[in-house]
Amino acid sequence: MSVPPESDERPLASTTAEGPAHPEDVPSEERRKFLKVGVGVLGAGCACAVAVPAVGYLAFPLGHDVTSKLDAYLPAGEAEAFGDTPTKVDLYADRVDAWNRVRQVKVGSAWVAKRDGKWLALSTVCPHLGCAIDWDGEAKLYTCPCHTSAFEPSGAHQQGPAPRGMDELEVKEAEGLVQIRYQRFRQGLSGKETV
Amino acid sequence: MGRIADWLDDRTGYRALTREALEEPVPGGARLRYVFGSVLTYLFMQQVVLGILLATYYSPSASDAWASTAYIQDQVTGGWFLRGLHHHGSSMMVIVLILHLLQVFVAGAYKRPREVNWWTGLAMGGLVLAFALTGYLLPWDQKGYWATQVATGIMGSVPGGEPMQSLVQGGSEYGNLTLTRFYALHVFVLPLALAGLLGLHLYLFRRHGVTPPAKMNAEELARKTQPFWPNQLFLDVLAMFVTGAALVTLTFATHGAELFAPADPASNFVARPEWYFLFLFQLLKYFDGPLTLVATVLLPGAVTLFFVLLPFVDRSESRAVKKRGPVMVAMGLVMAGVVALTVIAMAHDANDPKFQEGLAQAEEDAERARELAKKGVPPRGGTAVWENDPAFHAKSLFKENCATCHTLDGRGGKEAPVLTDFSSREWLIGAVRRPLDEDYFGGTKDHSTMEPYGEEGLPDAQLDAIVEYLVSLRGDTKVDAALVAKGKTLWEDEFDCNGCHEVEAGVDGDGAPVFGGRGTTAWVERVIRDSSQKDLYGDAAEMPKFEGKLSDEDIRALAELIVPPASAPEK
Ligand code: FES
Repeated sequence: MSVPPESDERPLASTTAEGPAHPEDVPSEERRKFLKVGVGVLGAGCACAVAVPAVGYLAFPLGHDVTSKLDAYLPAGEAEAFGDTPTKVDLYADRVDAWNRVRQVKVGSAWVAKRDGKWLALSTVCPHLGCAIDWDGEAKLYTCPCHTSAFEPSGAHQQGPAPRGMDELEVKEAEGLVQIRYQRFRQGLSGKETV
Repeated sequence: MGRIADWLDDRTGYRALTREALEEPVPGGARLRYVFGSVLTYLFMQQVVLGILLATYYSPSASDAWASTAYIQDQVTGGWFLRGLHHHGSSMMVIVLILHLLQVFVAGAYKRPREVNWWTGLAMGGLVLAFALTGYLLPWDQKGYWATQVATGIMGSVPGGEPMQSLVQGGSEYGNLTLTRFYALHVFVLPLALAGLLGLHLYLFRRHGVTPPAKMNAEELARKTQPFWPNQLFLDVLAMFVTGAALVTLTFATHGAELFAPADPASNFVARPEWYFLFLFQLLKYFDGPLTLVATVLLPGAVTLFFVLLPFVDRSESRAVKKRGPVMVAMGLVMAGVVALTVIAMAHDANDPKFQEGLAQAEEDAERARELAKKGVPPRGGTAVWENDPAFHAKSLFKENCATCHTLDGRGGKEAPVLTDFSSREWLIGAVRRPLDEDYFGGTKDHSTMEPYGEEGLPDAQLDAIVEYLVSLRGDTKVDAALVAKGKTLWEDEFDCNGCHEVEAGVDGDGAPVFGGRGTTAWVERVIRDSSQKDLYGDAAEMPKFEGKLSDEDIRALAELIVPPASAPEK
């Protein structure tokens, strides 16, 4: 194989333009193959040193609870504060978020109302794609500002693309406080499935 | 497959490009000492990839940097390894950089026509050091924080350097802006600058080719010329592999990079720069006052200038080492100086018990802080991790709830007894001798019933016996039985203490604390809950009740702070 001179800007290359004069300088086909495999293997080794651990590293959030699971009953307010008209309450909890542990941060909110003498708490997260649902006091409907989904005061689906009714949250009354078990549910499904 | 490749080649011409790259002639043949540039390029690329990976978890703010780094180091799968590779990778770059520089120097490759290539190389060397310096701060741990303080401090100490320092660190002090600036430099500015210079460097390298051995004549060079592929490429890749393997080994051996406790501006840390800056650190020790400038600017500046001007300083026609005696000697001196200073600095630290002690302390702190960080770091910042420590938590509870009246370890009010070494023998002796002192009940409202017992009426030996008896009453088994017996007699017969203080646990003390079980952790816990119980202070109780105000765990933690449960109240 010969190396043609590419330009006279390469004084050194041009002096060697004739290429190897002795045939023994040309690596044999076998040797070329060996070196080719060698380059491939060694290069792959270098790449793997980073690439292999990188997979587990990047996928870490898939197998771990990076943020703390929300499952506990959270105080929503005094029982007297809620009546027949839905009231929106913010729920606070201690939370781990990756490297942080934060005390009493807002973790979400719920619509709370008394219906037939019982507490009804509905998650404000729209089961369609997760926008925050409002209460329309005039229409007496819950409405989603994003894609026109609407829900009955009971939370049942009334219209729009939402695949199911609003997600009901468990409620209990303890120590004079309404407590809500705040959970999040997968969006876009017709059934309720916690995340 | 072939057709797709043909299509791509037609549109891009990539085949000609790779062919050209692979067939680049290497005059005089492949050589092991040509590998350093390739190894550096490989290391740089690897650092970029690792840096991107680290950036997927790292958060550059004063409150998050340490916590997120600790998260990478101790929680994310493989995080310690990737961070370790990145950390040691910078050391490796410095080593290979020095080898590259020396090889280029010995080969005389800075000479005509490669001057510009030499300069781009020097500039890249400077950038590698800037990478190291900016990256060192990012974990926001003690070591990075204090070592970088020294570096920016030097910047501020040179004439006119103060505005520079403020500009670099984003204000007069370290904080969020320091981190965001260093981060922006480290992950955007420096990599872009280095990539640009690297492109230029490689272009110039291809233009002028390798610098072949000076002793070969043109004919020999031509005869021995080989194309880049396969021999030189194989050597290059082999060298990369060896470097990579060394890095991996080093990373495993050290379990990655160190991460010290979170940066604490109030602490004193034994600050040392990374090993490749140690010579500068050592140099600083020899100059002070206005002469500091010699170490910080003049000497490093002179050496840099020597390097930059080298192509003009060395006017010899030949590249042969023998014909370049003076520059060889100069380089030898510089290198010897750097090595000597580094060795002195290391030896000094190795033989300095104070430094070793400080280091051991720092490592202990690091381990504790990282253990505590696994519970999550409070968002106020890295040092808030100490709040996860149960003892720290108890101390802050004490500060909030108790310190207005009680003093503990020298801090707090005087409206109630001092609680330092509460109920130890010394404490009890003091309580008998000086009950109306501020340290005991002197500051407490309506607690003046007990009369002080001076040495005339109650000699030390007798008091010791009584105190021993009291210690035994709370169930402490490590007592001197004979002394206890003697104390019991004194207590009952001689001094009639039981006229006021009952000793049977749980009975009504009528305002004077009952001594059965008094002074244990559980007893302190009961006092905190409600000190007006009949066997405690009864109606005379002045202390607010904390039952219901503090959680059970908090009350327990406070009681344990005042009387450590395992060791009982004894020093
Ligand atoms: S998110 Fe509520 S309707 Fe789409």
